[in-house]
Amino acid sequence: MRRELAISEQKIDEQALSRSRAASAGMGAAVYFVGIVRGTEEGRPISGLAYEAFEKMARYQFELLFDQAQTRWPLESVRLVHRVGFVAAGEASLWIEVVAPHREEAFAACQFIVREMKRVVPIWKKAFPLA
Amino acid sequence: MQVRVHFYSYFKDLAGASEITEMIAPGARLESLLQQVYLRFPKLAAMRKSALVAVGVDYQAGEYLLAEGDEVSLFPPVQGG
Repeated sequence: MRRELAISEQKIDEQALSRSRAASAGMGAAVYFVGIVRGTEEGRPISGLAYEAFEKMARYQFELLFDQAQTRWPLESVRLVHRVGFVAAGEASLWIEVVAPHREEAFAACQFIVREMKRVVPIWKKAFPLA
Repeated sequence: MQVRVHFYSYFKDLAGASEITEMIAPGARLESLLQQVYLRFPKLAAMRKSALVAVGVDYQAGEYLLAEGDEVSLFPPVQGG
């Protein structure tokens, strides 16, 4: 399974990521999910979220999740980008794409990785109230 | 022996430091180190039930046997995405 992982302060360029998608002849599904910073946190307006990562461990834990996903579903590729640093409300903080032969496994693997990421990958966020 | 302990997210604020060095007995378990840390930082002790603990890049439980040079990390529940 091909893997690409980026933990970056750079804005997520969704168009560039879509353009660089690769899928071999047997692949019938590319599922991607974009996590967007909401403009409110606990009901209060915010300007954005500052993300902090323990990057070395985050990379390792993401790779473990990719290993598990690869074991469970016949995936051709997983690409994931997570922002760190300040991410303004309305901007993407997470982008993940899974390419697989059929939609069921692509959706399931994408959901699995995002759900487990929120349990084990050491990344935290801090809300900045709107001034 | 010496073990370095790192704090992340708001645990840094509760400890007033991003990392510390603790002296522990050779062959000590992770839970002994954590007790020491919680005694030193009572504000962190209040978060012990939800705290996550890693040695290196792996999560570890209290019975983990520490070795010289281990890097321990203590942090709140993760919130990525």
